[in-house]
Amino acid sequence: MKEKMIGLIVGALALAGSAFAQNAPSPLMLPPQVEKELAARAANVTEVTLNKDMLGFASKFMNDNDKDQAQVNQLIQGLDGIYVRDYEFDKEGEYSMDDIEKLRQAIETPEWTPMVRDRERKGAEMTDVMVKSVNGETKGMFILSAEPKELAIVLILGNIRLDQLGQLGGLGGLGALGSVDSNVRAEEKAKEAQKKAEEKAKEAQKAAEKANEAQQKAQDAGKDTQ
Amino acid sequence: MRRHFLIPLVCSLLLVVIVVPWIAHAAGGGGIDCVVSAIEREYHVRATRIPFMALASFIAGRATHGGVAGVRVAEFEHFDKAADGEELNRMVAEKLGEGWQRMIRETSRHGNEQALIFARPEGRRMGLFILDLNGNEMGVVEVSVDPDHLNETIGR
Repeated sequence: MKEKMIGLIVGALALAGSAFAQNAPSPLMLPPQVEKELAARAANVTEVTLNKDMLGFASKFMNDNDKDQAQVNQLIQGLDGIYVRDYEFDKEGEYSMDDIEKLRQAIETPEWTPMVRDRERKGAEMTDVMVKSVNGETKGMFILSAEPKELAIVLILGNIRLDQLGQLGGLGGLGALGSVDSNVRAEEKAKEAQKKAEEKAKEAQKAAEKANEAQQKAQDAGKDTQ
Repeated sequence: MRRHFLIPLVCSLLLVVIVVPWIAHAAGGGGIDCVVSAIEREYHVRATRIPFMALASFIAGRATHGGVAGVRVAEFEHFDKAADGEELNRMVAEKLGEGWQRMIRETSRHGNEQALIFARPEGRRMGLFILDLNGNEMGVVEVSVDPDHLNETIGR
C-alpha cells in the first residue's frame, strides 16, 4: 500500500510538472554563451521579441482608415515574428570579430543567402543582410549591424516586402529599420537624380548640336555673301 | 477488492486537485502576486499597495468599455538594491508562469534601470505585465487589454 501511495504521489507530481512546459524558444538562435557575454559587457541591452500573436495584437492598434497604418497593418499580418537584440557599449573593443563570426554562423544555413555585406572603416563598421527565400518569395530577413560601440541583430520572419520594411520603424524598438527604408529611398532619389542628369545632358547635347548647326548655317551664309 | 481499488483512486484524485494547484502556485502561476512576493523576498523590500485599486480598475474598465480591465499595481519606493538584469528577468519569467512571453527587455548598467514587458494572449484580450525599475523606484503593473475596445476609446 505504501509503495502504491508513493507511486501515486510521484505520478501526480510528474503530471503537474508536465503542465509547466516552458515557452517555445525564440527562433533567434544565437549562441547562448556569446549572447550572455555580450549582455554582460554591454552598458545597455534591448531585446524585442514579437511573435505572431504579439504582432497580431500590435496590428489591432493600427487605424485602417489611415493609409500608412493600413499598409503597416497589412505588412504585419504577413509576418511571423520580429526579434531584435541591441547591445550598446561604453567603449570600443568590447566585442570581437570572433563574436561577430559566431553570430553570423548561427544563421548561416543553406536557406539563408547573403544579400548585403558592407564593410567600412577598416572593418570597424559592418552590416550583413541575409534573406531567406522560399520559392522565390522572401520569407525572412536577418540583419547584423556592428559599430564600434553598438551591435544590433534583427530577425524578421514571414512574408516580407522590402519596399514596405521601413514602415516597421514605427513599432517600438525597430527604429533601426527606418534606415533600411531611408537607404531604399536614398537609392530611389539617387536614381531619379541620375535620370534627371541624363535628361539634362541630352538636352545640353541637343542644344550644342543646334548651336553647331546655327554656327554652320552662319558660316554657310557668310560664304554665300562673299 | 473494490475498496482496494477505490482508496488509491480517491487519493490520486485528491493529489491532483490539491497538490497540482499548490505546485502551480509555488512554481509561479500566480501572475503579479507571485512576482511581487518574490521581489520582496529576494531584495528585502516592501511593496506599497495602491489603495482602492480595485475601484480604480473597475472605473477604468467602465470608462474604456472593457478596453482595460484587471489593473493591478505595486510600487516599490525605496528599491536601493542593485538588480541584476538577468536574474530579475529569470525570476519574473518563472514567477509569472506559463503562457507569459517576454516582449521587451531593456536593461542599463547605468542608473539601475530595468524594464520588462511580458504579454499573454487571453482569447480576444491580451494580458500585459510591465516591470520598470528606474533608480530606486520600481513599479509593477498587470493589466488585461482588449485592443478593439481600447482602440475605439483612444480613437474617440
